[in-house]
Amino acid sequence: MRFGQRLLWVLVGCIAATLSASDLAAQSTPVKIGLAAAMSGGSAASGEAIRRGLLIAIDEVNAKGGVLGGRKLELVVRDDEGNPTKGVTIARELVERERVAAVFGGLHSTVALAQVPVWHELKTPYVGAWAAATNITRNGHAPNYVFRVSGNDDYVDKFLVGYATERLRKAKPALLLENTPWGQSNEAGLTKWFADRGLKTVGVEKFNWNDPDMSPQLLRLRQQGADLVVLVANAPEGAQVVKSKAKTGWEVPVLSHWGISGGRFPELAGELSDGVVFFQTYSFFGSQNERGQYVLRVLREKFNVKGPEEVTAPVGTANAYDGMHLVAMAIEQAKATDGPKVRDALENLQGEYRGLIKTYRRPFTSEQHDALTDQDYLMVVWKGGKIVPVK
Amino acid sequence: MTARLLWAVAAAVAASVPLVTANTYYLYLGMTVGIMVVITSGFNVLAGLSGQVSLGHAGLYAIGAYAAAILATRWHLALAAALPLSIALTAAIGALLALAALRVSGPYLAMVTIAFGIIVEHALIEWVGLTGGPGGIFNIPKPTLAGVALPLPRYYFVVAAAAALALWMTHNLMSSAWGRAFIAVKGSEIAAESLGLGTYGLRTAAFTISAAFAGAGGCLFSFLNGYVSPDSFTLQTSILFLLIVLFGGLGILAGPLVGALVLVLLPELLREFLDYRLIFYGGLLLGSIYFLPRGAVGAVQDLWRHPPRAAAAPSAGVPSAWAPAGAPAGFASRPAPGPGRPLLVVEDLWVAFGGIQAVADVDLTVAAGTVHSLIGPNGAGKTTLVNLVTGFSRPDRGRITFDGVSIIGLAPAVIARRGLARTFQTPQLFEELTVLENVMVGVAGHRLGSLAAALTGRGRAEAAALHREATALLQTAGLGDWADVPAGALPFGLRRRLEIGRALGAGATMLLLDEPAAGLVPTEIAELDALLGRLREAGLTILLIEHHIELVMAVSDRVTVLDEGRVIAEGRPEVVQRDPAVVEAYLGSA
Amino acid sequence: MGIQLLVTGLALGSMYGLVALGYHITWATSRTMNFSQGQAVMAGAVVAYGLHVALGWPFLLTLLGTLVASALFGVVIERLAVRPFFRSASLAWLLATIACGTIAENVAMLTFGKDARAFPSALATRPVLIAGAGVYPQELLVPVVGLALMGGVQFFYHRTFYGKQLKAVAYNPEAAGLMGIHIPRAVMTAYALSAALAGAAGLLLAPLLNVAPTMGTIIGLKAFAVAIIGGLDSAGGILIAGFLYGLIESFVAGYVSTGAREIVGFAVVIAMLVVRPWGLGGARPTRRV
Repeated sequence: MRFGQRLLWVLVGCIAATLSASDLAAQSTPVKIGLAAAMSGGSAASGEAIRRGLLIAIDEVNAKGGVLGGRKLELVVRDDEGNPTKGVTIARELVERERVAAVFGGLHSTVALAQVPVWHELKTPYVGAWAAATNITRNGHAPNYVFRVSGNDDYVDKFLVGYATERLRKAKPALLLENTPWGQSNEAGLTKWFADRGLKTVGVEKFNWNDPDMSPQLLRLRQQGADLVVLVANAPEGAQVVKSKAKTGWEVPVLSHWGISGGRFPELAGELSDGVVFFQTYSFFGSQNERGQYVLRVLREKFNVKGPEEVTAPVGTANAYDGMHLVAMAIEQAKATDGPKVRDALENLQGEYRGLIKTYRRPFTSEQHDALTDQDYLMVVWKGGKIVPVK
Repeated sequence: MTARLLWAVAAAVAASVPLVTANTYYLYLGMTVGIMVVITSGFNVLAGLSGQVSLGHAGLYAIGAYAAAILATRWHLALAAALPLSIALTAAIGALLALAALRVSGPYLAMVTIAFGIIVEHALIEWVGLTGGPGGIFNIPKPTLAGVALPLPRYYFVVAAAAALALWMTHNLMSSAWGRAFIAVKGSEIAAESLGLGTYGLRTAAFTISAAFAGAGGCLFSFLNGYVSPDSFTLQTSILFLLIVLFGGLGILAGPLVGALVLVLLPELLREFLDYRLIFYGGLLLGSIYFLPRGAVGAVQDLWRHPPRAAAAPSAGVPSAWAPAGAPAGFASRPAPGPGRPLLVVEDLWVAFGGIQAVADVDLTVAAGTVHSLIGPNGAGKTTLVNLVTGFSRPDRGRITFDGVSIIGLAPAVIARRGLARTFQTPQLFEELTVLENVMVGVAGHRLGSLAAALTGRGRAEAAALHREATALLQTAGLGDWADVPAGALPFGLRRRLEIGRALGAGATMLLLDEPAAGLVPTEIAELDALLGRLREAGLTILLIEHHIELVMAVSDRVTVLDEGRVIAEGRPEVVQRDPAVVEAYLGSA
Repeated sequence: MGIQLLVTGLALGSMYGLVALGYHITWATSRTMNFSQGQAVMAGAVVAYGLHVALGWPFLLTLLGTLVASALFGVVIERLAVRPFFRSASLAWLLATIACGTIAENVAMLTFGKDARAFPSALATRPVLIAGAGVYPQELLVPVVGLALMGGVQFFYHRTFYGKQLKAVAYNPEAAGLMGIHIPRAVMTAYALSAALAGAAGLLLAPLLNVAPTMGTIIGLKAFAVAIIGGLDSAGGILIAGFLYGLIESFVAGYVSTGAREIVGFAVVIAMLVVRPWGLGGARPTRRV
């Protein structure tokens, strides 16, 4: 028993030593920024797009001397595997072990929602770069540590419904959604905003990832007399939808959320991509502002992206790029990397940031944690493999 | 002793984590390990003891988690109330699934369980009103115990206690009659049935236990995270459970602990290589199957006890003989029911397989307290007849009564419980169990006691009695020195002896021996001859199937000769020996 | 609507049936199978994409290259994951093949990339009308090739000497070994054949499904369900089960709901295993004591 006790104390000592050593290491110079997103599996492209946006912005900041008088920014990437459990683990790891100043989030709304209590418990600012579920930012916490530079489904759905009723003048909309929290969130939003206009959706159909054929769903919507299909899908499933639509011979306009914005959509759907209308926070097609040209150049040089048609998941890159610059500004303004101070700075950001998506002036307030709203969205259409604005 | 010390150290380390760090990342990882230990301890009972592989346990885990989430959010139940309810619900659903799933095995069982997992996953997505749909349930209140809030550092102790409890219960189970019965079913289904064990029921029990543990893990998970959503319960999760048990060591108590530690912590250490995550995962799975057939813990155990277990065998290669004279212990207390009267009666028995008559219009009467031999050329239908009598095959028509009661259509285990035991042409031992444990399975038979007692380690008095009875039987069988040797390491000549000893332990009034002399050397046959005589003196009835004519002639009271499924002669051995039909059959086939 | 659902279901079903045949081939010879058959389909599609789109090989050469590469993949699986555990009582081979599939998926992610790509085919750009229902010509090709391959497999097993040898190995390996059949080679051949079939399926399905590292998982799983429903020992049963499963999916999605589709589909699998575990086309096995 003597020996056992001694062994126990040695073990306890070892653990304590390791822990305090790693705590010390976290205090060293670079300011760490976390990315918790899907880097593997079916949504890996989204995580990669966000990582690129962050890296481009970080290099820019570091080239100008970093933050807080010379401290470099450093990106720490973690794979959430699209799994909320994993998401919570890496959230704690990024904050407690890596001591990141802020964390960017990825595509999965379930992961983002599962992490919301963790950010508040550990008092670390989080900036969503993709997941659009409404209650990620409107989460009931005060002070609220969750920010977003991305779409918010509530605004997006309002925007889409406005377009459907005012521009397209459709009265029998149908929803075709992916069977995920993202689809679920938009089902709620679209239903609400159509109801706001006195309209009721004539049908709601869903599909799973990697589904090979969506004809049964489309046939049901046609039978229910729909005159417009509002689509919530990513590029591969979106392509399957338009292919199945061609098969059924149903001529119906498709209005889409931003999931099909990746350059692969025209590759996957071929000529059927023409005429599909959708919304964007940003498009790398067409004439670019200064930052747009810069980002495209870096994408070409560093990531072997030959042109806008090869920018997969462009919204991830664009949102992350602007979000990173906003966080860097907030750290400067807070003169610290502590979570509460950076959070306060984000909520009261002084000055102007002429960004990629827009020019930001006080992007966040205590009531508004979405930097982008329906004022900032634009409606675009696929034409010959390129995105052109809807006139 | 070393094992105890190691367990004590493990417990102390686990308990000290919240004392040395307030870092919630480490605490969270620790709790994840704890929850995995709870789930995979149960999974170890299923896969390690009873030998069933499930790829659908994420579905059961999900049911436990969602049950807790719904109970906590809708009915505002606290942890202490939600836990037993979610365990009960998951166990009930697991039992139902098992009743359907365990009719099949191997890849078919894998398919049923995969299908179950997928159905649960999609039901969670579709049943929006109850489960919150794809988004799940996100507002589960923080756990409390007796009204006291449990922040992470305190909840840690709840999870750690649950993990310890899970390990303790599996430990109790492994050393109980239930545990041995599970291993017996895995080792040889037919032998287990021939000892009166209901294999279907046992498998269902093992599955239900594993479901209950998965439900407990799910409930702990819900309260730890404050949310549940379908993404946490995919096929990948089911494979992870399997991987943990496999890596740690199937059927080994510490397997789940070591497996969970490695599989939860290693990915955290290797996170820099996230692009290679799946390669690593697959490689680990492949590597552990290749190089660690008994898992990491098993490999260490084998190193520790070098040379391995089999070395416990007596150094002398010569087996000691059956104990001399006197009624063998352990079964002498079972007198034959009225010596001389018909015990087993077979009438007009007929069975055909694919158009071939294996047994045709067979009549056979075995009188109590006699040795009755069944002989005949190869393919005469002898083994088929034994299979029909013991319930392993169903006759097309005919009657079989044992002790005056019809046993047609009864399951083998039920027939065995009536006192009809058998051995097999190729000895069917439970190779993973020791020689003594093999006999203990026989002695216990289907009287396994309550499962709750087995899990909580009660019933030690019964266990001791069982141990004494089995030890006495082993002494009688001359296998006393071999008690602690794994049956798989037993020399061939002794395997048959163990099988007979085990059947005697099962409390048979009648023994059906299928070619017990096959492969024995002359001295062993002589011992067998003596044994049969003593068994008859002790009041047992024996139906002996044998090719060894000298043995048959020496021990039999009556002999029945089968040829091409029909009885061609019946009578006292010396009469049958001269029967022209018998001579014809043997010469004809020679 | 009914006709379109019928056509859709048959097209889907032939796809599942085609992939499911791969399970049958190795099961019939070795009583084991590649649980990563879906990943073998993916590997075929990825290789075909590499040869045809990236390297610009003509179609026939691509087909040949894909078949060879897939067969090699099968041999690797057999060597790595099956042979060491052949005929061991445990399901070690099952887990080992899952491990190989996981590794293959990661390798595809590292080499091919993470996002879905289109495989161009003239037969999958414009649908044609059949009895008022639209269908891509490529979808019609799937059942044609599927039936032809099934015919080929049946012919091979029942009419050729080598095929009969392979079948003999499954029924009684000891006897087959005594008769001079080289069992490891027979099993390896079955795995090569099975993987080549999966590769062909991958090539055939690539224009319809898009090529991606994760494309195989669901297909492999549903094809496994189909193989079980049809009976692992019966190629004909599997093909019929494939069509049935495709039709169930299509009609449940069309008349009930998409969400119910997987639930109903897999519930049918469980029901089938409870009622008739040996499958539609299989024979009831007898218990050996």
